Amino acid sequence: MRTETYEPHLMTVAQVRDETADVRTLRLTFTDPALADSFAYRAGQFAFYSAFGEGESVFCIASSPTETGYVECSFKLTGKVTSALRRLSEGDVMGFRGPYGNSFPIDEMVGHNLVFIGGGIGMAPVRSILVNCLDRRSEFGDITILNGARSAADLVYRDQTDAWTARSDVRCVKTVDPGGDSEGWDGEVGLIPHVLERLAPTPHNTKVVLCGPPIMIKFSLISLEKMGFSGEQVITTLENRMKCGVGKCGRCNIGGAYVCCDGPVFTAAQIAALPQEF
Amino acid sequence: MSPTTYLADSAQAVLTAILAAGQRVVAPVEQAGLLAFAHVEQAEQAQLIGQTRASAKELAFPRTQRLFGYRFGNPGVELLPGEEPPAPTVLFGVRPCDAAGLAILDGVFGAEPADAPYLARRARITVVGLSCDQPQAHCACTAVGLSPTATDGSDLLLTPLAEGVLVEVLTARGAALVDLLGEALRPGAADKAEVTARAEAAMAPRALPAGLADGLAAAFGEAAWADAAARCLGCGTCAFVCPTCHCFDVVDESNLRGGQRLRVWDACQFGLFTLHASGHNPRADQAARYRQRALHKFSYYPRAHGRPMCVGCGRCVNACPAGMDIFEVAATAAAGQG
Ligand SMILES: Cc1cc2nc3c(=O)[nH]c(=O)nc-3n(C[C@H](O)[C@H](O)[C@H](O)COP(=O)(O)OP(=O)(O)OC[C@H]3O[C@@H](n4cnc5c(N)ncnc54)[C@H](O)[C@@H]3O)c2cc1C
Ligand code: SF4
Ligand code: SF4
Ligand code: FES
Repeated sequence: MRTETYEPHLMTVAQVRDETADVRTLRLTFTDPALADSFAYRAGQFAFYSAFGEGESVFCIASSPTETGYVECSFKLTGKVTSALRRLSEGDVMGFRGPYGNSFPIDEMVGHNLVFIGGGIGMAPVRSILVNCLDRRSEFGDITILNGARSAADLVYRDQTDAWTARSDVRCVKTVDPGGDSEGWDGEVGLIPHVLERLAPTPHNTKVVLCGPPIMIKFSLISLEKMGFSGEQVITTLENRMKCGVGKCGRCNIGGAYVCCDGPVFTAAQIAALPQEF
Repeated sequence: MSPTTYLADSAQAVLTAILAAGQRVVAPVEQAGLLAFAHVEQAEQAQLIGQTRASAKELAFPRTQRLFGYRFGNPGVELLPGEEPPAPTVLFGVRPCDAAGLAILDGVFGAEPADAPYLARRARITVVGLSCDQPQAHCACTAVGLSPTATDGSDLLLTPLAEGVLVEVLTARGAALVDLLGEALRPGAADKAEVTARAEAAMAPRALPAGLADGLAAAFGEAAWADAAARCLGCGTCAFVCPTCHCFDVVDESNLRGGQRLRVWDACQFGLFTLHASGHNPRADQAARYRQRALHKFSYYPRAHGRPMCVGCGRCVNACPAGMDIFEVAATAAAGQG
């Protein structure tokens, strides 16, 4: 019978990279070559990743649609499924179903200055759209990147952050919370909203992509508003618990909106209009 | 076009003919003093008076359903098929509220991207509805725009009249079943208006306040929810007995050789339902969870689909161990009288 709604594709773990002590990135390739060629997604979409025997978890697709032949996810160790996924090594098989959800409005971002702000594991969805934009660099104005974490040891994508910092056509800043800097730290020290205010990006013709823990989003939005950004200029993602990804399991709604279908990407203006239940 | 109609001696006689035609039948039967939908082989087993404890949704959306299986290889993993849906079945004696519930579930699970495991089961079910001539004290179908003789979701609807039973053929699937029944049905028509009026008159008067969907949305921050939820135990009974509740969890069951992925009923009244792995819970207390149930049924869903996600079966009111009445709580909250 047809069960493909919930049946994952089998994927091979092609690469395992540790970003921090508890965040790992897996690169996955399709075991079915036909799927490898036909699979398409947009930056901002998410997927369900299966550890057979334990269950499935939702992560955004952290790679960019411009990086073909594989998908990557970066996940933080939190519980049962993420523990099981950490037990996989290169060559092992796991499950993947997706992509689901809407995506970052890259077409609307064309021609604008862009500010990318990622806090902690929130840098994963930012990475997808950021790499997508960097691979189409000429279509955008100034690009500013702010990658923050609690401490230097918690900063994800460190190699890439260094590579972005070295580029002359982007401004890339990394920051850690006060007290989180360690020997030889060469970035900023300060909470993301404070560092953001110091960077003072101009709201004129600018779009902001903002992802991270709820508390960071909350205070960053206050700072952005102070600097003159409107709710329509700020794009973020929501994370609600999900079991289906297709609007059936009734778990991810905020008011009448289903994060799995109507999101996970929303503008700050859209979020302000929802019941405050996330 | 008005539906083709037939007359038969009784609902029992129609059931006898369906069984004689070799159909697999699931109908209400008495089990340990309660009514439940179960497989019947003789018409006498069916109990056609009263309301089943659980709704008819289980046949299409079972409490536990295998989505697929897997076997651990060395190396790799082999995927195995999901459940084999039950053989084609006539679901007999479904009350109009329950049949309308199936129609609502069809909308939810059928919306793109469609839910294949649900549709595989649903495609094999023919619904023979049975109008309600003896409503229960908790019945509320008229409050949600239905009636004791409503046709939504039925392939055939039987309405008992003084002179026998009226059979309305509502879908091609219903017509295909009629073709198998031969002499038991004779072409003929009758007016069910009087039966409808009598059944409606026997129901306790209940109505949803005008503008409830907007009123509830506006009452999101009202204290009424906390007052109501102070009684709610969060047991989830209301969701499990409800013909339209469709929330589910997805879990793995496995051993060293392999396992299966199952979906199982879940309920928005449980505290773990929305709990994030981080410990954050967007619906942290029972007030938020009860509000979600009331607003989904009477505000979010109606705003998107033009009708409540409630068919007025009254089961949740009847079964709640804390005596919660969702109609009452919703009306009170919307009126801002918390
Ligand atoms: C759209 C979206 C994108 C996301 N992107 C990312 C990402 O890129 N990277 C990332 O790290 N995270 C991401 N997340 C969060 C991620 O999905 C969770 O952190 C992850 O699922 C935790 O899985 P786990 O199995 O390890 O934890 P679990 O063990 O499943 O859960 C941890 C805790 O959750 C509760 N819980 C889980 N399942 C149940 C259950 N069935 N019943 C009761 N309680 C339960 C328990 O309290 C448990 O201790 C995203 C989430 C969403 C919705
Ligand atoms: S309303 Fe009643 S049946 Fe529903 S969860 Fe609360 S106590 Fe249980
Ligand atoms: S909400 Fe209550 S009355 Fe309405 S359909 Fe569900 S169980 Fe029946
Ligand atoms: S994840 Fe199931 S409804 Fe959104």
